[in-house]
Amino acid sequence: MGSPCHFALFDLSPAFDLDLEQLAARYRELARQVHPDRFADASEQEQRQALERSANLNEAFQTLKSPTRRARYLLTLQGHEVPLEATVQDPEFLLQQMHWREELEDLQDSAYLDGVGAFKVRLRDAQASLNQQFAAVWQEQAQRETAERLVRRMQFLDKLSQEVRELEERLDD
Amino acid sequence: MALLQIAEPGQSPQPHQRRLAVGIDLGTTNSLVATLRSGVTAPLPDEQGQVILPSVVRYHADRVEVGHGARQAAASDPLNTIISVKRLMGRGLADVRQIGGQLPYRFVEGESQMPFIETVQGAKSPVEVSAEILRSLRQRAEQTLGGELVGAVITVPAYFDDAQRQATKDAARLAGLNVLRLLNEPTAAAVAYGLDRQAEGVVAIYDLGGGTFDISILRLTRGVFEVLATGGDTALGGDDFDHAVAGWILARSGASADLSPGDQRALLKIACDAKEQLSEVTAVELQYGGWQGVLTRNEFDALIKPLVARSLKACRRAVRDSGIEPAEVTAVVMVGGSTRVPYVRSTVGELFGLPPLTDIDPDQVVAIGAAIQAETLAGNNRDGDQLLLLDVIPLSLGLETMGGLMEKIIPRNTTIPVARAQDFTTYKDGQTAMMIHVLQGERELIADCRSLARFELRGIPPMVAGAAKIRVTFQVDADGLLSVSARELSAGVEASVQVKPSYGLTDGEIARMLEDSFRSAGSDKQARALREQQVDARRLLEAVDAALLADGERLLSAEEREAIDAQMEALRALLDSQDIAALEQQARRLTQITDAFAARRLDSTVKAALAGRRLNDIED
Repeated sequence: MGSPCHFALFDLSPAFDLDLEQLAARYRELARQVHPDRFADASEQEQRQALERSANLNEAFQTLKSPTRRARYLLTLQGHEVPLEATVQDPEFLLQQMHWREELEDLQDSAYLDGVGAFKVRLRDAQASLNQQFAAVWQEQAQRETAERLVRRMQFLDKLSQEVRELEERLDD
Repeated sequence: MALLQIAEPGQSPQPHQRRLAVGIDLGTTNSLVATLRSGVTAPLPDEQGQVILPSVVRYHADRVEVGHGARQAAASDPLNTIISVKRLMGRGLADVRQIGGQLPYRFVEGESQMPFIETVQGAKSPVEVSAEILRSLRQRAEQTLGGELVGAVITVPAYFDDAQRQATKDAARLAGLNVLRLLNEPTAAAVAYGLDRQAEGVVAIYDLGGGTFDISILRLTRGVFEVLATGGDTALGGDDFDHAVAGWILARSGASADLSPGDQRALLKIACDAKEQLSEVTAVELQYGGWQGVLTRNEFDALIKPLVARSLKACRRAVRDSGIEPAEVTAVVMVGGSTRVPYVRSTVGELFGLPPLTDIDPDQVVAIGAAIQAETLAGNNRDGDQLLLLDVIPLSLGLETMGGLMEKIIPRNTTIPVARAQDFTTYKDGQTAMMIHVLQGERELIADCRSLARFELRGIPPMVAGAAKIRVTFQVDADGLLSVSARELSAGVEASVQVKPSYGLTDGEIARMLEDSFRSAGSDKQARALREQQVDARRLLEAVDAALLADGERLLSAEEREAIDAQMEALRALLDSQDIAALEQQARRLTQITDAFAARRLDSTVKAALAGRRLNDIED
């Protein structure tokens, strides 16, 4: 049978701009129908199927909820798997990456919590800007390379915000 | 107050048809069993009217004693009286040696790496000891309710890892309980509070028990309880407060710290009593040996400060993980006996800037929540307002890769159930086997993570390094239990395991314990197995009947319906036979033939749910 497209599961057409509130509401409704708790006293095969569908639904929701994963998924749907590791040259962004990292290291050395807060705000702005750029180009066949480059940049910023979280954790001692 | 149930006219609920289900809080210090009776969900008392069963098991030469009586013997018979066994669940001998200074038992090695405790009745695993507590609660429930239980929801700390969860499920199996669900303790508490208040918003549940600490952040939206993040410490609790006070007494009195097991228990009792009194008064007088002294609440607060600080750090991390701002938290709920300590309440209140809620007894709230969920899972309020609990895994799951590093497959705080696959490849030319080492934890080095299981995928066709594609799939079910399978994609070689934790019981050990428990119950193993098979068959028939009644007409062709009916008839005819094998085989046949029907039913409810949103968009 194969698993249905994540968007179809929510009765949505593939799109980058999504109403996240609506997505969450539909997720909750669907989860009510397929969650294994509804089948705790049902037959074994119903339990197994509920487990599988519930897992599919959760995976779809997690994918669509995150802008980066959603963007990557949209490109995959168009037949272009974007590798997780950035192997393609992007010198302009490489320089920017180095600046971000240096700043993060300085914050770590100075253990300056307010600085971390400001860094997070800028990071969020940068993410929002990438999202906008991606929304504008992902459907254009001619802009394929740009779209892929943007996704890789989004992935880097996601990783960076994960590192900021870890830094916050270390500073919280 | 609990919600009153109102039946439709002419459809009054028939009490004899209710399926008896309970919620069990299997705690470090105390355990409880609760259920819905006459419209109220409450803990069930024992014959003396006490709802709390101390989680203490004493082995006598000829019998087993559980609860208050056992607890009183803790100091006089320390080696045969097992307390706080929950701290040993799912742990290896090495872990136990680490916390061993606090434990008086004589540990012996079993067939598995699980520590066994030497008692007058022989070596007992923590799983068996826990099973005694569960058995005692099950008997209490069956006597009070006058019937056999359909099943139980058993709570576990949210921060329990896979090994600890599996151990708990094994204990239930030994106690003859059908586990409807392992439910996280904070989530259970949220259910108890949320139902009462029809709450909406973001709730922090701070659960400090005798031996474990949990923090969960949940979003409540119209009956959906979505866990955003969870965190905690499975080795932090009120017991540690006692040890801190005991250490203080030893230091002040100048007494030797080299204590016999009995003396150690007696000292801890004094410490625990002092702690409890300090929740009411600001100073207590203490006596130990010939020494006398006073412990003030301020001194006590200073003693426990580092312990409470550890819990606060976990709270801040959970808030960060949940992706919300601390100010978005609209309520803080206190759970667990240790939250009676004023210092704990005030510091947690300060952290969130909210007065913590304590109106449901912190000792009972988890069992009550579990009972509410048990009622739903047993199918007793099929058409009522069903709650939906969306829980998460507390710790990341992954695999060992080259260089002793942990590669995360499912990150912590991912909503369950979840299935996720990742592809790996060989690193040597002609490599035909691959070791799959399953890990749980947040650190990068595998040495810092918990080893859950190892298994081997063999029969990979020889290829150059990097050419084989091995897909490893992790699946976590609604109980938070993991199963892993691995598959070579070009040759289709498959290997899979239900993860049997490295520190769990071996199948051989479980089989022996089951036999032992049948023997001690004086029942015939064969008869019991037959009865279990019959109960399963009846359950299956009921489930199929209900499904047919609801959707048979709509979703099945006449031939399909006939085929199912025939298999049901055949199973019904076997219900009173003594032939276990035939019964089992026929049940399997019925299961197989209804497989497609089950899938169609699920499709149709999903479609209906979407159609409810946008009426015109869906057609058949």
